[in-house]
Amino acid sequence: MGKNNTRDEAEPSVPDDGTSRRNFLKGAAVGAGVVGTGATAGVLALNNEDTGESAKAIPASEGYLLVDPAKCTGCTSCMIACSTAHEGKASHSLARIQITQNPFEGFPNDINQEQCRQCTYAACVEACPTGALEADPENGNVRMVDEDKCVGCQRCLEACPYTPHRNTWNHEREYAMKCDLCADTPHWDQEGGPDGSQACVEVCPVGAIQFTDEIPTQYDDEGYKVNLRDEQWEQLGLYAGDI
Amino acid sequence: MKGHMGTILRLDLTNREISTIDTSEYEEWVGGHGMGSAIFFDLVDDKSVGAFSEENVITMMSTPLAGTLAPAASSRTEVQGISPQPYPTEWFTRSNFGGRFSAMMKYAGYDGVVIEGKAEEPVWVNVVDDEVSFEDASNLWGLGTWETQEEIWSQIGTSGWMATESPRDTGETTQKPAIATIGPAGEAEIRFGSIQHDAGNSAGNAGFGSVLGFKNLKAISFLGTGSIEMANPSDTIEARLWAEENYAYGEDEDIPLGGFWGFGSTPGSGDLDGFPTGKARAQGCVGCHKNCRKRYADSVGNESQCVEAVFYNSFDQAAHGGITKESAKAADITNQMGINAYSLSNGIPYLETLHERGILGPDGEIEADLPWNMLGESEFVEALVEKIINRDGIGEDLAEGFPRAAEKWGRFEEDIADGTLGFQYWGYPHHYDARTEVEWGYGSILGARDINEHDFNWPMYWQPTLMYLGGADPLIDAETLAEYTMEATPPHNVKPDYSDENIYSEDMAELVSWHRSYTRFWKQSVQYCDWAYTDFVNPNTEDMSGLTPEGEPRIFNAVTGADFSFEDGIELGNRIWNLDRAIWTLQGRHRDQEEFAEYTYGVTSKSGIPSSGVVGPHYMPVRKDGEWTYEDVSDRTIDKEKFNEWKTIYYELENWDPETGWPTRDALEAHDLGYVADELEAHGKLPQEA
Ligand code: SF4
Ligand code: SF4
Ligand code: SF4
Ligand code: SF4
Repeated sequence: MGKNNTRDEAEPSVPDDGTSRRNFLKGAAVGAGVVGTGATAGVLALNNEDTGESAKAIPASEGYLLVDPAKCTGCTSCMIACSTAHEGKASHSLARIQITQNPFEGFPNDINQEQCRQCTYAACVEACPTGALEADPENGNVRMVDEDKCVGCQRCLEACPYTPHRNTWNHEREYAMKCDLCADTPHWDQEGGPDGSQACVEVCPVGAIQFTDEIPTQYDDEGYKVNLRDEQWEQLGLYAGDI
Repeated sequence: MKGHMGTILRLDLTNREISTIDTSEYEEWVGGHGMGSAIFFDLVDDKSVGAFSEENVITMMSTPLAGTLAPAASSRTEVQGISPQPYPTEWFTRSNFGGRFSAMMKYAGYDGVVIEGKAEEPVWVNVVDDEVSFEDASNLWGLGTWETQEEIWSQIGTSGWMATESPRDTGETTQKPAIATIGPAGEAEIRFGSIQHDAGNSAGNAGFGSVLGFKNLKAISFLGTGSIEMANPSDTIEARLWAEENYAYGEDEDIPLGGFWGFGSTPGSGDLDGFPTGKARAQGCVGCHKNCRKRYADSVGNESQCVEAVFYNSFDQAAHGGITKESAKAADITNQMGINAYSLSNGIPYLETLHERGILGPDGEIEADLPWNMLGESEFVEALVEKIINRDGIGEDLAEGFPRAAEKWGRFEEDIADGTLGFQYWGYPHHYDARTEVEWGYGSILGARDINEHDFNWPMYWQPTLMYLGGADPLIDAETLAEYTMEATPPHNVKPDYSDENIYSEDMAELVSWHRSYTRFWKQSVQYCDWAYTDFVNPNTEDMSGLTPEGEPRIFNAVTGADFSFEDGIELGNRIWNLDRAIWTLQGRHRDQEEFAEYTYGVTSKSGIPSSGVVGPHYMPVRKDGEWTYEDVSDRTIDKEKFNEWKTIYYELENWDPETGWPTRDALEAHDLGYVADELEAHGKLPQEA
């Protein structure tokens, strides 16, 4: 897994000469399209108080997904809901949330939920050379990809520090996608985004995904992986205690 | 039709040829069973060949709903072909399993797979999107089903999301390949070898695992990164949310009373309390709202539900005073060896009875060396299964299935007459009872296997019976139940009257006809899971009415863009039922063969025959003097003569020939099956017009 976040110095730009993303990609594939990151307008470099690292401070997202991997049933309905709402197609590969599992493992190690964290210091945003991936002020500062601006360099995928990466390559339409908290769901007639509904949260049959507007602790998983199981869960013969 | 991928994969094992069929050629059948039967009809010239024949074709079909959000309909696989399990005739039949297979097959670009011929050496088939290859399976042969899948994962699971850096053209996935495999039981070609997928999904009854074993096909693996187009994505999400919000168990609501079947039961309830609880999660098939299974901290019993979860309970309990891990371990043995738990569930009590009577054992007339002192421990199951797979000692006879073993021992007539041998339909293990739940029995004997369709069984039998046994009133009174059922079963609007008189009536023929048609289309072709549908009664709604018949077409139309009514589905289901009937006719079916195991006519359910399934009271709705009420109907047998008269009523209702039970040209042509009538005619199997 090459998480090589080395930045290139070249100033990126969206080809404005009518070059299509497909052509750009072809170029990239033969090594002709060297791109890198540069400063994106309106973003300041700040020190992360937690880590001391220099990183981009962008306005905090107004929403986050929390998950309970000990509650999840592995049905992947959330994944299919996500791809359906955004792409109008049912797919595991086009989902912006990923459920991984091994049926032969013991609970709770058999399932993991891998959701985008809407990081406060978002490496994906920082890596995007064209400003296609930004905190979108119109949608509660959710970190969102503007499909038209995405040149398909996949730097954001490489930059996401989590495994598997929480952004998704759409190989059918050739652009990078990431969780937008359902702010832009052309195939679902419901208001989404931080002030609306999220398809995965709505569809999950057991309530193993929750929306919150409070920033979770960024350090490790604890802020994002929470216990959503109650006494009733226990009455069903399912495990409700701490993992 | 939206929801289809457009391609069916065709594998010729004899010549190692890979080709495809355009799904559109079979689109009129929609998916699953309808497509499988139609393909079988077209590809198998001589339908009278045996199960273990190169000409036998196995289909594994998906549905337009697979891989979508359709609740409890998004990843079941319908398997068809000539089965080695039924006794005495190897009928063309069906089986079905859940999990991830069907969804992954579609993400790889296929609506189904057709398996023909027989490989010379063991092979497995590797499908990664549009790359399909035959692989050498010599290193997999002999492995258990779990090991086989892990071994294949270790070979092809590395091209996924977490490893690839160039997913531009083909996409990437975080998911493991979905694999259907056989275990040592299938390799040994015993008559009840299953097809297994993941930890606990099995196509068990029908023994198709052994047909794959005969064909030298160890496994087929799908890994797909594609997507499924839907006619109306937004409507699909809304239909799902409508079903979930109104009919499913909601985690903030009270735990509903009264059971484990139906759309609205609770997560993890599929193990039927067959395993001791501990740290566990609920687990489900792709896209399921219900998630009936469980996974455990030590992974023992993972994903086991229904029969394999409970088949060993009573022995475990007798040995240990309660249910222990031994039951879960026994379930794992069946899953890992790839053996049908149902056959063992009635087979072990049969052997035990013979053993107790001194007939079977080291000194008995049937020589058998089984570790009876271990009964209740999983080791007993292990020893028995090993003997069967190795055809060692008594295993040689049992590999042919319990009814054929009994026949060989000269015990069949005697043991089937008093129910010691509890195999009620076509040599399938007694499950639900023709004497009480007549629609189950009639459907099974008119078909080719134990139907395993709980549509009426849950609301009519379990719902009142469980509640009465628990000292409470049924969820709804019998009159309301009858009213809901009539409303939910258009166009037949069936009356679920299980009284002694009505079970031989035209009303019951209507009910059975509706049931055959509903399940052939909505369940086995569209593949709404038997554990969630039908939904006549639902504990989560205020008036306890369920989502049938509104839900099925609503979800289906949103995905496919078809303008299908519920009744259209019943009509197409009847067409498929007629096609199956024609295949059985070509295989040699005659009405005289459609008789239950003898004990059905001579012994009541109430008398408690050990190996003949559920005993105890059977409270069911009956209409008495114009009033609906629940009554215990367990104290009855089927009247042979009346049942035979009823068969005539049923055949006439379906427009089949009452003399033979064969479908008439009129019946077939009414379903646009003139070509099928021609084939019957060519074989001298078309009834003469009166
Ligand atoms: S894609 Fe990765 S880096 Fe970007 S916000 Fe999500 S988790 Fe953070
Ligand atoms: S919130 Fe919306 S975009 Fe984010 S994972 Fe869920 S469904 Fe996908
Ligand atoms: S829908 Fe819920 S239960 Fe199903 S996989 Fe997603 S998070 Fe898990
Ligand atoms: S009810 Fe159970 S078997 Fe049926 S689809 Fe859901 S999880 Fe699978």
